Amino acid sequence: MAERPEPADSELVLAVVTHDDREAFAQLVRRHQSLVRATLRRLAKGDHGLADDLAQETFLLAWRNLRAFRFDARFSTWLYRIAFNAWLTDARKRREVLLDDLENAPAADEHAPALPAAERIDLERALATLSDGERAAISACYYADLTHEEAAEATGMPLGTVKTHILRAKAKLRARLGEEPR
Amino acid sequence: MIETLRDPIDQRLRDDAGRSVADDGFTVRVLLALPAPRTRRPWLRYALVISSAALGCALAWLLAPGGISLAQGFVDLARQQAQTPSALSALGVALAMGVAAVVLVAEEN
Repeated sequence: MAERPEPADSELVLAVVTHDDREAFAQLVRRHQSLVRATLRRLAKGDHGLADDLAQETFLLAWRNLRAFRFDARFSTWLYRIAFNAWLTDARKRREVLLDDLENAPAADEHAPALPAAERIDLERALATLSDGERAAISACYYADLTHEEAAEATGMPLGTVKTHILRAKAKLRARLGEEPR
Repeated sequence: MIETLRDPIDQRLRDDAGRSVADDGFTVRVLLALPAPRTRRPWLRYALVISSAALGCALAWLLAPGGISLAQGFVDLARQQAQTPSALSALGVALAMGVAAVVLVAEEN
């Protein structure tokens, strides 16, 4: 007997909105929790506890606002926007967040010699040393798999700023992790 | 694009992003934190609309000048005598109930 194909996100969203279907929502959470939590872990500088709290808040907000979801965007993009705003609100409660501060973010010294192996730090710690804007751009484009345009729209940063953040972030990571382009 | 593929940092980020985070009870925690399910009582809305329309009709009939009988009105309508005060009252009541029914059907759709 042929297996029934997995329902699309849009079908699950419709089931939640029209029938208050919690099993459909559980399927949506199971399907997207990894992306949302991984993205928030990067945004939260590797603080997994905080990231999971924000991920839970993200899904609760999604549940509450599901009627506002427009089917012209991917559900994952919509979720990323909620997650990003949850992180931004939380971060602003703790400190000032500068997303498009290109002037003051120190540029990486690409000509600096690579660190010896013992001093190299892992990717998670290296990402935590990036500026807020750089981390937001990297998390959107790599972890949430958004295009530069979608990332700009979701984070509210100009497209050029997103691209600059990505380039600078990668240069910094290269310098910190000691990896040169082949 | 070729440059992107050769960049080890790019590859490392993609590999890291591709690693899935184990659920470890996360979905259950989210479901437990959802607000309690709504108690669906569709009959309540019907009852409220219909009974308020009926109440309005009853008040209008009570406050109308004497000598008007709803039953007589329906009899008049059946006899195709729509010009009598009773027939007009019956027509009004039927209209009010009809509008209430249309409102309910429109809301349902």
